[in-house]
Amino acid sequence: MINEPAHSRLNLSLWQQSRQHFMKDRWGILGLLIVVLYLLVVIGVWFGLWGTEWSAISDDFNQGPSLQHWFGTNAIGQDIAERGIYATQVAFEVGVVVTVFAIFLGLLIGALAGFFNDTWIDGVLLWLMGVIDAIPFYLLVAAVAFAMQGHAWAMHLAMIAVFWTTTARLIRAEVIKLKQLAFVEAATAIGFNPVHLLFRHIIPNTNHLIIIQATIVFISAIKTEVILSFLGLGIKEGISWGLMIAEATNDIQAGYFNNFLAASLLLFILVIGFNLFSDAIQDALDPKLQKNHEKK
Amino acid sequence: MNSWWFACRKLIGGIPLLFGVTLISFTLMVYFGPDLTYELLGKNPTATAIAEVRHSLGYDQPFWHRYLMYVQQLITLDFGLSMVKDQPVTELLQGAIPVSIQLLLPGFIIGNILAILLAMKAVQNRGKWPDKTIMTFSVIGMSVSFLVIIIGCQLIFSSSYGLDLFPVRGWQVHDKNEQFSWLAYLNYVTVPTIALVLISLGYNTRFYRAVLADEVNKDHINTARAFGHSDQKIYYQLLLKNTMVPIITRTLFSIPMVIISGSLLLESYFGIPGVGLITYEAIIAGDQPVLKAIVGLTAVLFVLVLIGAEILYRLFDPRMGATQK
Repeated sequence: MINEPAHSRLNLSLWQQSRQHFMKDRWGILGLLIVVLYLLVVIGVWFGLWGTEWSAISDDFNQGPSLQHWFGTNAIGQDIAERGIYATQVAFEVGVVVTVFAIFLGLLIGALAGFFNDTWIDGVLLWLMGVIDAIPFYLLVAAVAFAMQGHAWAMHLAMIAVFWTTTARLIRAEVIKLKQLAFVEAATAIGFNPVHLLFRHIIPNTNHLIIIQATIVFISAIKTEVILSFLGLGIKEGISWGLMIAEATNDIQAGYFNNFLAASLLLFILVIGFNLFSDAIQDALDPKLQKNHEKK
Repeated sequence: MNSWWFACRKLIGGIPLLFGVTLISFTLMVYFGPDLTYELLGKNPTATAIAEVRHSLGYDQPFWHRYLMYVQQLITLDFGLSMVKDQPVTELLQGAIPVSIQLLLPGFIIGNILAILLAMKAVQNRGKWPDKTIMTFSVIGMSVSFLVIIIGCQLIFSSSYGLDLFPVRGWQVHDKNEQFSWLAYLNYVTVPTIALVLISLGYNTRFYRAVLADEVNKDHINTARAFGHSDQKIYYQLLLKNTMVPIITRTLFSIPMVIISGSLLLESYFGIPGVGLITYEAIIAGDQPVLKAIVGLTAVLFVLVLIGAEILYRLFDPRMGATQK
């Protein structure tokens, strides 16, 4: 299969087929463009190109949008656009940290549970997932924040502790399915080391699930950060969209909507972009859908 | 195997899960939780006073002993006094739970029924414009933060910048004679209900559409169509009944989440004295007795719902119990 020409349409590898499928998805491309745009904004903040003046206070209180202040200013004269842009980077940081750790944990535990299913290891790990899923999320975050006495990473830790279970369940189911396939049986028969088999041959076959889950966890993490920060359980130092919305609740009563609109719009566009992107790659990577595609 | 034995076995099977959730909430909230000794003491306490308080809080006891004390509190529903409000925790919750149910029930029911109807419309017109429109709106709905929906609803319906039709916040559903008044209830519940429906509609519609679309391709539906049954009968009788298992799962599983997560934001923003507001205030004030009660009780509630779901499945699909070992 490896030696066959990759250009003929029927012999494309699964990844290439998926990419072709994705490129035809206009909404998915739009989502990808939005995500890339935000990524550029974040990289700019990292390099100090913009978003540096987010905490600077001026005499222009509650200004409307103007050329100097794109989204206007807030009650103490801070530029809302600068704050929103800086908060983008905060949101991405939370999203990336939570996604990386939660996916890694989910992959590892899910793969172990699936590989050793029908043994006590699977039982214990399933029990652990059940327990974590049984505690309402916001309460678990509150409990973790409580136990860590308001530590800055309490929110990240709590999100990681909660978000890995879905990934682990999916990976577990997939590994159980893969274990019954002929290539695994053959590898076992010729005496492969089980650890080697799991990490080199089974886990790489769950890549598509990991990519899909990563986008889903990323979206959840960013949305959750906003709510937790609003409730006072999340970001405490610096600024985030959640904190901007929390500030805005006072502004709204006085009739100033800039802060609220800016934070909500930035959040909404990023999340919808990511949702479109995520949907498109789910379609592109779903083997079941691809078969249907070929039949046509 | 009769149903009673099945139910009993499921209940016994739930014990490890109950053990797990109580252990985690105990470890986080009580064992690693903040030391409350000095919150309960006056200024300049004596060494004996400190030792006494530590003993009454159980700090001098080993881990498992304290865990059993916590389980005992959960079973007897006696969590002592709230640190902030000087009122028994149980009494606080007794007052708050009915409020939360009154607040969330209409939105929960409308949100689910509306989502099923929309998903049905989408599946009936698969690939055509009604399907595309409904699914586009559900992605948009999923992308708007809950927070923005709640604030937006309040702004549009309750503030002087919008329609100004309903009260901004509060929960005065009783009239002067302490009687429950439906009119006042409608007045206060409408805006939170709209917000709740909007919050859940996107997710629910997408989920139900996926479930229904899966079922609609099955042979029994084709057969029914070949027999010339009406669309009405095919979709609302045959299809819906066969998708009841995932629909029940979804609905039941979201109950504990809706109670806490939904009410947390809604109640704290609209100032409604339900479980969510109590939780929010306890989080902000670090009121440990209230928090450990809520965390423990909701986790236990969730496990019970889980067991209830398995028993319900059997009523709708007798095969489920039989195939399990």
